[in-house]
Amino acid sequence: MGAEVLTVSRDTKFVHLAWQREEKQLANVKYPMGSDTTGKLAKMFGVYDDATGLSLRGTFIISPEGKLMNAEVNYYNMGRNIDELIRKFKANLHLAKFTAEGCPAKWTDEGDKTLKPSAKLVGRVHEALSK
Amino acid sequence: MSETCACLGCNVGATVPDFTLETYEPSKGDFGEISLETLKKNKKWTILFFYPADFTFV
Repeated sequence: MGAEVLTVSRDTKFVHLAWQREEKQLANVKYPMGSDTTGKLAKMFGVYDDATGLSLRGTFIISPEGKLMNAEVNYYNMGRNIDELIRKFKANLHLAKFTAEGCPAKWTDEGDKTLKPSAKLVGRVHEALSK
Repeated sequence: MSETCACLGCNVGATVPDFTLETYEPSKGDFGEISLETLKKNKKWTILFFYPADFTFV
């Protein structure tokens, strides 16, 4: 879909190489695996855990202009849902093209109902989404 | 007790400062480097995915 995915942990690039080679779940990984050995990037994004020196499970979507559009951070034992990530990414692409629209909660893909905020829509969101 | 969060994770809408990371690139089978500056120049959306450690689960 045209996004650059970049995974990051505090492991060195050597460990990334070994892991990608060993773990069959990663056999199809094509994206760069970033190495944040000092924790500087994790601290910048607020996912650095002082107690362990590791980073929490944070996902951040950054626009081509460098603006942070979404942030999701989970504690260690909770994985992130990739369908939700794809949904958010697609919504970002849609809203970048149609800047006067809004993607409501049930929006999942192109073609789903969006909202066009205006004075007419005030107090009438239910009707707009039920049409 | 509350702390002001000055970190980016709490500041959706902020401009992300440039960063550079050393990488392992499975598609090339080699090490490399990636920077936000280059991604922006190539007009790419970036999805940054932090996780605790290699060789763990979830």
